[in-house]
Amino acid sequence: MRPAQDNQGSFLGRISIRRNQFVDVNNEQEQEDLELFQKHIADRFTELLSPPQPPPSDETNTVASVAATEQIMSVTWLRKLMDVFLCCEAEFKAILLMGRDPTQISKPPFDRLVPEMLDRSIKALDICTAVVNGIDSVRHYQRLAEIAVTALEQRPLGDGNVRRAKRALANLVVALSLEDKENVSGGGGGGGGGNKTTERSWSFGLRSGGSSAASKGGATIGQLKSSSWAVGRNWSAAKQIHAMTANLTPPRGNEAAGLPQPMFIMSTVMVFVMWVLTAAVPCQERSGLANHLSVPPKHLNWAQSLIGIHEKIGDEWKKKEKKGSAGLMEEMTRMEKLGHSLMEFADGFHYPAEKDAAESAAAQVAEMAEICRRMEEELVPLQQQIREVFHRIVRSRAEILEVLEQAGKVSAPVV
Amino acid sequence: MAEFDTKLPVSGEKNHVFEACHHVVKALRASDNNLDANLRKLLSDLESHLLTFGIADTKVEDAGFSEIKERFKEAVKIIRSWETNHSTILEAGLSEVNQFFQALYDVQSVLVGFKALPIKTNQKEKDVYNQATVALDIAMLRLEKELRDVLHQHKQHVQPEYLAVSSRRKDIVYDESFVSLDDEVVVEASSHEDDQQISDFSNSDLVDPSVIPHIKAIANVMFACEYDQAFCEAFISVQREALDEYMVTLEMERFSFVDVLKMEWEDLNGAMRKWTRVIKIITQVYLASEKQLCGQILGDFESISTACLIEISKDTVLSLLNFGEAVVLRSRKPEMLERFLSMYEVSAEILVDVDNLFPDETGSFLRIAFHDLSKKLADHTTATFLKFKDAIASDESARPFHGGGIHHLTRYVMNYLKLLPEYTDTLNSLLQNIHVDDSIPEKTGEDVLPSTFSPMARHLRSIVTTLESSLERKAQLYADEALKSIFLMNNFRYMVQKVKGSELRHLFGDEWIRKHIASYQRNVTNYERSSWSSILALLTEKNDSVRTLRERCKLFSLAFDDVYKNQTHWSVPDPELRDDLHISTSVKVVQSYRGFLGRNAVRIGEKHIRYTCEDIENMLLDLFECSPSPRSLLSSRRR
Repeated sequence: MRPAQDNQGSFLGRISIRRNQFVDVNNEQEQEDLELFQKHIADRFTELLSPPQPPPSDETNTVASVAATEQIMSVTWLRKLMDVFLCCEAEFKAILLMGRDPTQISKPPFDRLVPEMLDRSIKALDICTAVVNGIDSVRHYQRLAEIAVTALEQRPLGDGNVRRAKRALANLVVALSLEDKENVSGGGGGGGGGNKTTERSWSFGLRSGGSSAASKGGATIGQLKSSSWAVGRNWSAAKQIHAMTANLTPPRGNEAAGLPQPMFIMSTVMVFVMWVLTAAVPCQERSGLANHLSVPPKHLNWAQSLIGIHEKIGDEWKKKEKKGSAGLMEEMTRMEKLGHSLMEFADGFHYPAEKDAAESAAAQVAEMAEICRRMEEELVPLQQQIREVFHRIVRSRAEILEVLEQAGKVSAPVV
Repeated sequence: MAEFDTKLPVSGEKNHVFEACHHVVKALRASDNNLDANLRKLLSDLESHLLTFGIADTKVEDAGFSEIKERFKEAVKIIRSWETNHSTILEAGLSEVNQFFQALYDVQSVLVGFKALPIKTNQKEKDVYNQATVALDIAMLRLEKELRDVLHQHKQHVQPEYLAVSSRRKDIVYDESFVSLDDEVVVEASSHEDDQQISDFSNSDLVDPSVIPHIKAIANVMFACEYDQAFCEAFISVQREALDEYMVTLEMERFSFVDVLKMEWEDLNGAMRKWTRVIKIITQVYLASEKQLCGQILGDFESISTACLIEISKDTVLSLLNFGEAVVLRSRKPEMLERFLSMYEVSAEILVDVDNLFPDETGSFLRIAFHDLSKKLADHTTATFLKFKDAIASDESARPFHGGGIHHLTRYVMNYLKLLPEYTDTLNSLLQNIHVDDSIPEKTGEDVLPSTFSPMARHLRSIVTTLESSLERKAQLYADEALKSIFLMNNFRYMVQKVKGSELRHLFGDEWIRKHIASYQRNVTNYERSSWSSILALLTEKNDSVRTLRERCKLFSLAFDDVYKNQTHWSVPDPELRDDLHISTSVKVVQSYRGFLGRNAVRIGEKHIRYTCEDIENMLLDLFECSPSPRSLLSSRRR
């Protein structure tokens, strides 16, 4: 992350100096800026696709854990993705606005491209809201996992402890594999009253196995449901992503060499980042999400790594979509696996614990505890970063509108 | 009501101390794996002491193991009996409640005793331990259900009378143009009346106070048995659902950003109005009560109480904040000013309450979000206010305004300004550091009220100055000097009347009013001069021949016809002003005409005189009687 930020600093510096020297934006220099921008995009996503290997170390454990944390779709990786977005965005805004004659971006084709871009950014705001909310659901899973961990860490492990763990695990596993339609209250719940929520919770409980323990737990799942329609009735993440890509086409002909190019790149990055976030955590209504992202053509250099990441995640999504999943966040995926295998352990448990089974369970419990710890450390910062992204998008939009207003062409924001 | 702690039997007290020590040791170990050697030694010493103590303790009770077992069996039976019982324990009465908690205590004693000496126990004791873990879990699950049920059954609704008020209010409907703000609409637009009522309510109870001790007892037991997470999850989920439900009764819908930006002004206006009320009720009444409830139940665990409040309220609060964020993304249309003002005003007012609700680090993100939003609303409101002036300045007309009446821009601006004195404090603070050129820069002897020199007053006068310039430009479109004067007179008179007849007079000040009265009176004079001077000049004879006199008389009649034809279509809507104008015109014209006829009627000859004095007098009354322009005409002339 750091190198990228450094690049950005020097880059901005250079632009401002140069732009000050030449009042008319020199075409050749603009070309150079654009190329640099593309290169930075390419570099940043390449780093995301294949994180740099940690320096060789004596402690193999550390290496393994570093590798795991950096994995695509891990919380740490998602946080890096947010940083990348912020860097790209800052650089893009410099290109778009700094030292530029305002009238230039209000003339065709920008009178179409700029409003389209602003329109996309509004949709991104809704996605940010939904994702921040989705992360709250993840924190709820974390708490369920923690309950299971607490129960299974009891020594001597009694049937009661296992019973408690099993309840938490059942809720966890159900929550992690629920699809959006179930995970998120449907349209009816949008404005619906509390009664509905309660009904829903109970029906969930029944789904999760029918035992009294599980149906009790249904209420806890119900809790996330009531809050999942954070964005408003009938809002759908998949539809938003789809709408964001609707008019997103690579510039052709003359336009390909000029400002439309970075606008296309930035919009692509924005849609991509939003798409990743929606796939990572529970989000309101995502059916067909994998198909809703049109990737840029492969021949574009800057897009190679982005396409690579897209393919990886897209494949995972398609796999998960079949069996249902709350999200592709790496920690959630592992949590789900551990949850299942600890459930097995719990199902076969007889007091007093069998030594071998207890030992392997203990290792899994430790791993689960480790995931919880990482979530505890990183989920809230991730939420904060997404809020930062949110505020950045708002600010940039305001700045662009201000410039347009100066140009006198647009007195009211589009949208 | 039963409290877990108070139910300890005497013999249990030692056990309790013992348990506490044991926990301390465990906690110390867990908290740090890299304890230094000395401390580790100390801990294991302490632990072995505790063990012997524990053994000694059990040895004493060993004789009574079968007795303990009996009590345990009984306890499990009691707990099991509640497992499938769907009514609350609370309903069953105090003795049942006590019995349940006592049973739970017995079970926990077994667990604690066993954990103290896990190695030296026989199979029988191990079995008892195992049964105890199960019994404990059943009891905990039962208490979780008890918690949910009691919270549900004893939920109290926050003052439904709030809700009645909201539907009684009528919204002003603005068009997104200068045209539609009519006088009649503005009459309804006093917006603050209902806010007063909110402050009359302090906290209200979200849950029947009589069941609080029971809930608190559940909390204490569950926390003591390390089922705190389960307690919090259940408590949060019930309370959050109740809040969601309350939001539904308040009819506060959630909107996406896309929704808010696309929304028709009328709907948005309603939603903004609702937001202003709801955010106040939620922060000042509902969440204040929720905080109180959390404190009552979890007061012994303060950080947990705070965390629960945040978890309960976060979702709703963030959605309210988001609406504010979304509204700020809308363009700064002047007609939104009043809504923005009230949203900003409320957002600033509730900051104190928000700071109280979320005072510590964990709640800082909410606190900051509220402060940020308030700042954004302030900026947006100020910008909207300033843009109002720009919009007035850039309001151009291509054709003269029909009939010289009161221009819709004048109506709009003045009626708009009339709404603002309600927000005097807010506007003064927003405009404090924004310089503006003012028509009354210094205090003069005439104006003594400080309000006349407040930032808001200066800005309002400046807005009206902009309006005046715009009117002057519009006046230049008239070919007829007289009509130009009528137009300016009408509009200035309207401005003065609006200022004099409202709170605006304290802001604009006497000097401004005096100057503007003088200004329209000047226009009256101008009108009379440009309209009548040349005509009346016809009536001043200088030894004219009969032919010339007849000619003069004829010319006068023709000129008068001309004036009559024109000026009956002109409009002076203010009846008082119209009367004044009729009288002063009448005095001048009829007098001159009467004098002229008196001197010359005989010479001119009756058949050459078209109008008698009475004719002239009556016809003059028809001037300026044009009824207000039909709307269809009006709208075609916008801008």
